[in-house]
This record gives sequence, C-alpha cells and structure tokens, in this order.
Amino acid sequence: MGRWQPMHAENERRQRLLQLAAGAVFLAIIAVAILIVVNSSGGGGDTNLEGKPEVNRLLSGIPQKGLVLGDPKAPVELVEFGDLQCPVCKGYSEEILPPIIEGKVKQGQVKIAFRNFTIIGPQSVPAGAAAIAAGEQSRGWNFVELFYRNQGAEDSGYADDAFLKAIAEGAGVKSISQWEKERQKLTPEVEKTTAEAQRLGFTGTPSFAVKGPSSNGLEPLGTPGSTGAIEEAIEKAS
Amino acid sequence: MTSPNKFPSEGTLQRLIAFVAALGVGVATYIAIADSGGGAPVCIAGGSGCQTVADSSYSHLLGVNVAVFGIVGYLLLLASAFLANDAARFGGFVVALGGFGFSVYLTYIEVFKIEAICQWCVASAVLMTILFLLNATRLIGYAGTDGALAADAR
Repeated sequence: MGRWQPMHAENERRQRLLQLAAGAVFLAIIAVAILIVVNSSGGGGDTNLEGKPEVNRLLSGIPQKGLVLGDPKAPVELVEFGDLQCPVCKGYSEEILPPIIEGKVKQGQVKIAFRNFTIIGPQSVPAGAAAIAAGEQSRGWNFVELFYRNQGAEDSGYADDAFLKAIAEGAGVKSISQWEKERQKLTPEVEKTTAEAQRLGFTGTPSFAVKGPSSNGLEPLGTPGSTGAIEEAIEKAS
Repeated sequence: MTSPNKFPSEGTLQRLIAFVAALGVGVATYIAIADSGGGAPVCIAGGSGCQTVADSSYSHLLGVNVAVFGIVGYLLLLASAFLANDAARFGGFVVALGGFGFSVYLTYIEVFKIEAICQWCVASAVLMTILFLLNATRLIGYAGTDGALAADAR
C-alpha cells in the first residue's frame, strides 16, 4: 500500500502531463493551419506579385546604394531616366538591361543609376519617391524591377498606396514604417531628377546617359534601341 | 506506468537534446549575424536561395529577424536538457513543438510564397524536427518520474 500510493500519484501526474501535451499538439496544429490559410489568402502583403524570383536572381550579389546598382568603384556610370509607369521602360527592364546587369555590372565595369523622369501621370511621382525610399534601405533596384514586372495599364490609377506598399514588401524593404515615413518627403528628389532629364534635352522615357573616363561629363545617349547599342556606349566611355 | 526500458535512457535523450540544440544555436546565430550586417547567409552549395529568403519581408517578424526567435528557442531547449524533472520535460516539449510548428510554417512560406529555399533555414527546420521528436520521446517515456528514477534509468 505504501509503495502503491507514490506510484499512483506518479501515474496521475504522467497522465495529466500527457493530456496537456496532446492539447498543446492540437493547438499547434490549429495555429500552423491558421497561419498558412491567412498567408495563402493574401494576408502576407507581398502576395500575388509577378517576377519576384526572377528579380531576386537578377540582382543577387550585386551591391546597391540608393538607386545605383553595381560596384561603387565601377569606372563607368550608365544613367537611366525612367518613369515607373512607362511600358517602354518595362520592356527595357525585362529585355534590354538584364544582359548588361548580368555582364558588365556584375563584372564591376559599369554601375547603373535609375533616376526618375516622371512624364506619364500624377502617380509616377509618389511611385518614384517610393523607389528612392526603398533605395535608402538598399532595395531600390528590387523595387524598380518588381514595379516594372507588375506594371498595370499606363496611368490607369493602379499605382496607389496599397500597390506601392505591396511592391516595397515584395522587394524586401525591411522597415516598411521607415519607408512610409521617408517616401512622403522625397517628392522634391523626383522633381529634381525630372528637371535634370529635361535639361539634358530628353523628352521621352527611358532615356539614357553615360559618364566615364573617356566621356565629356554626363553624355546623353537618348534611347538606344538595343543591348548592343548601350554596351557600345559604355565601351566608348570607358 | 510505461516502462522506461522501451525508450533510450533519459540521460541519453538529454545529451542528444543538448547536442542538437547547441547546433541549432550555432545555425540560428549565423543567420542572425549575416542578416544584421545587411547581407544574407551564404548558401554552401551555391545559388541565391539564401539571399532571396533573407531579402523577403517574411524574414522579419515585428521588425526582428526570425532567426533571433530561433536562438531563444534553441537556448531554452538547451537549458531544458540540463534538468531532469517534469517542468523541463514538458517545457522542452512545448518549446520544441512551437519551434517545429513555426518551422513547418516557414518552410511553407519558402516553397510557396518566396519560391526559394535557403539551406540554412532547412538545416534549422531539420534540427527543430529532431528536437521535437527527442523531446516528445523524453516526455512520453519519462513524464511523472522523478529525477532520481530518471537517473537510475541512465
């Protein structure tokens, strides 16, 4: 009897613990299921964006500072004056520029700067400011590339705050609250680069300029129609 | 009660838990340090999966890298391995269960949302799965026993 009582107490304690454990397992299954359902129904913020893996693959391992992509010490700088709502810029982003990024930019021969030249519509300005704010967290090019890959019909009103936030999240901007705060202050920056593009004589997007050891300052290129034409200009400026 | 003989001795389980949890601390710390420098863990087999996952907005929860939560979890599991009482057995099980559930969720996110696999995250998920199995075995095999009995079983 004296030995039976402690054994009985042990058994009871064991039963209680195992029941609690079973309850914890049940709760854990419910919690994981809820998390997965919430995310699969769009609760994750950057869901349903096109081209994230491609953008990440393209830009992986390349340094970014602000809206400049590539080794800061690269001898040549290619400047793209673009409007995030411009469909031709989207084409350049997807077809013309990737071979240069994968080649000369990754090899450290050239860096590419994106500057806003907002000509399409009113939403181009906050979109451009949002890109600069993403650049402050070293995600500027991810933002620009992901924006182009998810671009809507030209100036159709799609580039609202929710769209910009989804792009920022998809681009991997780590502090969305900081990005929100910063982007509100950056309209003058967008206006400044738009004025710079006009001073260079550009009238459409995308327009390019190049600067290197053999160029005469920032030389306007206009809109070269192919990867080869841009590479030739880079070689000439080198 | 169930005979402890069906299970590895509690001492063996504790040593295994301590070893795997220490590995987990190492993996999670590496991920957290790589992220804190503004970079990403280096995928040993190459590829850009680690960078892609680290760049994703899912890599942070409430502004904190998820690896930091991993470090805390592994340290708690490590601590639980040094005690032989019901609080440690049950506490270890609950922490490992939470870690395992979170790993399942993160693996789902990697495969279906980010569409990239980070080897270091997979390593952590495997370690957490092993820890869950070890802690479940420990709880089922030794819940209700006192430390002395558990020591006898070693």
